[in-house]
Amino acid sequence: MRVTCPICRQDATWENNQYRPFCSARCRTADLGAWATESYRITGQDSPGEGQEADSGAGNAADQADL
Amino acid sequence: MLPEGDGDAARTSDADNPERNTDSMSQPASQPESAYGAEQIKVLEGLEAVRKRPAMYIGSTSLDGVHHLVYEVVDNSVDEAMAGFGSQIDITVHIDNSITVSDQGRGIPTGMHPTEGRPAAEVVLTTLHAGGKFENDAYKVSGGLHGVGISVVNALSEWLEVEIRQHGQVFQQKYKRGAPQNELTVVGKTDRTGTTVTYRADPEIFPEIDHSFDVLAKRMRELAFLNKGLTIQVADERTERTEAFCYEGGIVSFVEHLNENKKPFHTPAYLERTTDKIVVEVAFQFNEGYSENLFSFANNINTREGGTHLAGFKASLTRSVNAYATANNLLKGVKENISGDDIREGLTAVVSVKVPQPQFEGQTKTKLGNSEVKGAVESAVNEYLNEYFEENPQVARRVVDKAVSAARAREAARKAKDLIRRKSALESSSLPGKLADCAERDPEHSEVYLVEGDSAGGSAKQGRDRRNQAILPLKGKILNVEKARFDKMISSEEIRCLITALGTGVGEEFDAAKARYHKIIIMTDADVDGAHIRTLLLTFFYRQMPDLIERGFVYIAQPPLFKVKKGSKETYLKDERALSAHLLDLIVSDVAVNMDKTGPANGVRLKNVIDKLQMFENLVDHWERRGIHPAVMRAATQVGELTRGVLRDAEKQAAFMDKLGAHLSEFFPEMNAEVASEPDPEHESQRIVVNFRKDGVPRRAVLDEALVATAEFRQTREHAPRKLGMEGPSFTVTFKEQAHTFTTSRQMLDFILECAKKGLNIQRYKGLGEMNPEQLWETTMNPEVRSLLQVDIGDMIKADNIFTVLMGDQVEPRRAFIEKHAKDVRNLDV
Repeated sequence: MRVTCPICRQDATWENNQYRPFCSARCRTADLGAWATESYRITGQDSPGEGQEADSGAGNAADQADL
Repeated sequence: MLPEGDGDAARTSDADNPERNTDSMSQPASQPESAYGAEQIKVLEGLEAVRKRPAMYIGSTSLDGVHHLVYEVVDNSVDEAMAGFGSQIDITVHIDNSITVSDQGRGIPTGMHPTEGRPAAEVVLTTLHAGGKFENDAYKVSGGLHGVGISVVNALSEWLEVEIRQHGQVFQQKYKRGAPQNELTVVGKTDRTGTTVTYRADPEIFPEIDHSFDVLAKRMRELAFLNKGLTIQVADERTERTEAFCYEGGIVSFVEHLNENKKPFHTPAYLERTTDKIVVEVAFQFNEGYSENLFSFANNINTREGGTHLAGFKASLTRSVNAYATANNLLKGVKENISGDDIREGLTAVVSVKVPQPQFEGQTKTKLGNSEVKGAVESAVNEYLNEYFEENPQVARRVVDKAVSAARAREAARKAKDLIRRKSALESSSLPGKLADCAERDPEHSEVYLVEGDSAGGSAKQGRDRRNQAILPLKGKILNVEKARFDKMISSEEIRCLITALGTGVGEEFDAAKARYHKIIIMTDADVDGAHIRTLLLTFFYRQMPDLIERGFVYIAQPPLFKVKKGSKETYLKDERALSAHLLDLIVSDVAVNMDKTGPANGVRLKNVIDKLQMFENLVDHWERRGIHPAVMRAATQVGELTRGVLRDAEKQAAFMDKLGAHLSEFFPEMNAEVASEPDPEHESQRIVVNFRKDGVPRRAVLDEALVATAEFRQTREHAPRKLGMEGPSFTVTFKEQAHTFTTSRQMLDFILECAKKGLNIQRYKGLGEMNPEQLWETTMNPEVRSLLQVDIGDMIKADNIFTVLMGDQVEPRRAFIEKHAKDVRNLDV
């Protein structure tokens, strides 16, 4: 199985790859470093106040709308 | 260990020109036995010391030491070749593990030594550090370079024979354990020159003398690289294996050889400079990889511990790259200079120097100590690199880019280490304070709920089964990035708690076998924030702990979205679909729908009818998204059977169009619909066109063969009310003995659901916190009734692409991506 390394976007194999889903120890470390430095964020909505309570409708629809 | 007088000999010897030396002493030594006096005894005492403590001279008496003997002999030949005499050296391993080394040099001087009173060759073979005696520009005996010399080989050999071809004559002498067995004797005539040494390492000294061909070949290859154009052949009589090494490219070939399986991005760079008798040679080539591969040599000796030559090269490379990057403004976003370590990622280089008086230091005497070498290498490399970078800007740029990304990676690694280290420093082996652990100690029977938010965490702690359910409350962090934007993230502190609570470690130390729970259940609110925290957690698991997902340890809890209360009976429902199914269950026995052909339907039969009608309504929605007005679709499936045959038969089509037009104007008069027919030359048929107005704007819907042929349309047709036996044109429902009539099945379904809701209390949960501990247990945590979604690696791989985009800083591509993959995102968050 081929996957895309989340960091460098190069191809990586899944099987027998101790660094899966990354291509290398380096990319895995880079990812861990990003978690450690709080670099991963899900960008919120552009207008204030809507982000929190946007789900006035059905649950799934709300998820979709925000994402 | 030096025999006395050696140093004096070296200083007093007028050995500027060995040719002249040997010329003046061209007669072979033929002194009587008695000439071996006190001097000779002293010499033998010197060699006796070598035999007593061999490790001091050759490192050890293991196989390494045995191989070392070969190198000592070969080194002499290599130096002779490098001085311009002879271009081939042959090494033979014989079946008894004796060794022959043969060169085509001038031959060890055979003339009488001016002060020793013996032939020079014998002095060389029996005197420690005799190389000094011949030190001059023309004949740099390398014996001293390895620190010992061929006399040590002689001392440690069971026997040794030397054969020297010089001045048209062939000389021979034999030794046993360092002691001459005869005088250096002329045995014949020749027109060749050279030295051949054959010896057998002494089994009294070496427990094992079985030479390794591969080890010898490796060193000989190295020597061939280091000495451009020199051929070295290794023959093994034991296996009849022979290998010859010769590299016209010298250390450039060496670098190419080292980079063979890597991805270099430029041709090797090479420089050679001689300053103050120090010869500096450097070859280097960068590759796409991350490892640093540096080899340094001084006088052909592999300086494994580095030394001044390597230090000079590194310093100069670091300075030159930084200077180039600064001058060309390539260091944007990098605070300080790039470090040498970062620059050398992916660098393969060979640094080779030839120094007249090398000093070796370090544990294994493989570190060059001459301080003057550093400056010589530094200035040579500096000068070369400045020019090289100017001439090869694309290479320079690549090198800088690579170093900058290496610097970033190093920083990330440092932070990652910090994350793990701080954990162990602050909490050592103890668990995070906010984890409410369970009593069970067997991971297989333990589960942990990762609960978003403090209040929900509180409820979960109270509601859980503390025997085997642990609770770890996690809080998402909301960041006000700009005035109008709020980003969500998980703090590093939370990540640390998570890792500690799971017990697996992370990164290099990660070990799934240490997981403290075999069910890790993510439980978040059914709102946007909850979805985001869940996305972040899943991403973290997928990337840093995929093993847990593969083992099937990761789950998503499914808290209910609705609570329906009828009287004192409460029912929890996980989503919209479950809610409407539940509502129908409650109402089907109280309403009846008139089926024109078969009379009123209720109960189980009605439920069946409603299921199909709902499918029909979903399809109508589907068509609306594709531009077909719902009324047109309803009418087209209700007034008759629209097939390809109808479109190809003028008569049938006219009849269908009449009914369609009549239906639309009767039930949807506000549309002002007009039905027309247009040729469809591609299918040799006619298409039906409905022109109508929507909010005053003219629109049209086309019913042609392409549409009629789709599976979706066939499905729509098959699930249409008329197929269920409701010929219409209107729909009638009886509820509490009162009849209600509707134009569309949608209106009828909505009415039925409304009826069902009467007398019910329907509560929509926005967050876990709205449920009390008992409710949370009953609906979401009780293993008897809960439904958990097991996270599957296949889904995660697809999903990670989405995460990557979601987490990016770039808003625009993110939007575009989400629009394109809206459906996937939706699935992801179900």
